[in-house]
Amino acid sequence: MEPLSAISSLIPAPGQALDGTAGHQPERAFDSWLAGQVEQTNTSLVQADAELRSLALGETENLHQVMVALEEARINLELAVQVRNRLVEGYQKLMRMRI
Amino acid sequence: MDYMATMAISSHGMSLERLRVDVTALNIANMHQVAEPGQAPYRAKAVLVQQRGDVFASHLDRAGGVSPPAVSVVERNVPPLMARDPGHPYADADGFVRRPNVDPVTESINLVTAVRAYEANVRAFNAGRSLALKALDIGGA
Repeated sequence: MEPLSAISSLIPAPGQALDGTAGHQPERAFDSWLAGQVEQTNTSLVQADAELRSLALGETENLHQVMVALEEARINLELAVQVRNRLVEGYQKLMRMRI
Repeated sequence: MDYMATMAISSHGMSLERLRVDVTALNIANMHQVAEPGQAPYRAKAVLVQQRGDVFASHLDRAGGVSPPAVSVVERNVPPLMARDPGHPYADADGFVRRPNVDPVTESINLVTAVRAYEANVRAFNAGRSLALKALDIGGA
């Protein structure tokens, strides 16, 4: 059996201090990511709405395309709701913190 | 996103099976047509799906989304049925009329397989959807 290798590569060499500031700046701010995701969710909701309209007007070729659009919108919305849940949870934890 | 690829693949499959049902319905609807003298009767049609290069790679091409398969409707290479019916107004000099060579049994089987394959695509779609929704449950209450 091959022995487990040591994790020395993960341990900083002596003399090399852990730097907590460098390289920890995210490439994109969270708020811009969130805005993009909300925008995408809105786009899929609007598209599902448009598909439903064309179905009501009798312009739809395939019924399953409407259902696929609806399901995509549902998953995107569910993702947005889950992100919002985590955000609110974090906010409430901060607010309960004793000062 | 990748779970959208599952949905797109199943969606293409459903479109294909719907087309097969449409073509079968067309064949059945024209089954008892009789050709006028000098004209060719209706010829049974079939759906032809062609592979485009590396199928797996092209279907899972993340950059370009999921590309639909190359689908075409072709005529089956079968001779028309010659039915003897001397009293028919379209009968030729020998008393034969030409009917489309549509085999009802083949068309029935096509219908059943298309419907079942459509259902299978819906199943695959639902499986992908449940995976996505289940993934959103991670860390939930």
